[in-house]
Amino acid sequence: MDSHYEVEFTVRGDDFLAAGEASNQIKETLIMLGVPSAISRRASVITYEAEMNLVIHSGGGTLRAVITPEKLTIQATDRGPGIPDLHLAMREGFSTAPDRVREMGFGAGMGLPNIKRNSDNLEIESEVGKGTTLTATILFHEGPGDRR
Amino acid sequence: MTVLSLIESLKLDVHNGGDGNRSVSRGVVGDLLSFVMGGAPEGAAWVTLQTHVNLAAVAVLKEIPLVILASGRTPDPELLDRCKKENIALATAAGSPFEICGALHDLGLKG
Repeated sequence: MDSHYEVEFTVRGDDFLAAGEASNQIKETLIMLGVPSAISRRASVITYEAEMNLVIHSGGGTLRAVITPEKLTIQATDRGPGIPDLHLAMREGFSTAPDRVREMGFGAGMGLPNIKRNSDNLEIESEVGKGTTLTATILFHEGPGDRR
Repeated sequence: MTVLSLIESLKLDVHNGGDGNRSVSRGVVGDLLSFVMGGAPEGAAWVTLQTHVNLAAVAVLKEIPLVILASGRTPDPELLDRCKKENIALATAAGSPFEICGALHDLGLKG
């Protein structure tokens, strides 16, 4: 494979019909590149939760995946309201999702913890009123071209 | 066991047959999508009371071959369309989530 492969998708805010499509396309890309299934499964949890955060909280944004021989980087960027208290947002069970979203089974305060559990490294930069950039990394112990 | 044999054993009302030959050896139950996203085992049958289209995205990403709507719930049309497109089996069970999980456990499925 090429040493650097990148895909980027626009995710629309509040579009629950299209929600998950970007994650699905990233998963298909990882499979096409021969990334081991254990890694693509972890990546799917990260991309889906990040995508749903864009749909639910930020009015939309972009979801990007960068694959190199060493690692997979997933980045979600938005110009939404930002996260006032990151420490609180990372806490399992804490959520600011509205009731109508919770009734669908979202907003249980598990999204960011799910992302953290499946990442080797997670960085979140957020500024209230400006937006949020989440960068999650999964390291390949083998090259992504080495199918198990 | 296969999706098809599970559907027949539980006498489920099938909305979409999906890939009846896919193997099901595990199960997961829940209405919180992030719980299923974070914890569903590979190839699990998913028992839920939710009926909306977003179940399909979770099923695709988690490689869930069969979604069982418990307590006689009817799928939203968008969910049925998406399950057809993605080849995910979708069926309704008359019993409660507790009863369905008990039946799945009796069939030898693990959590």
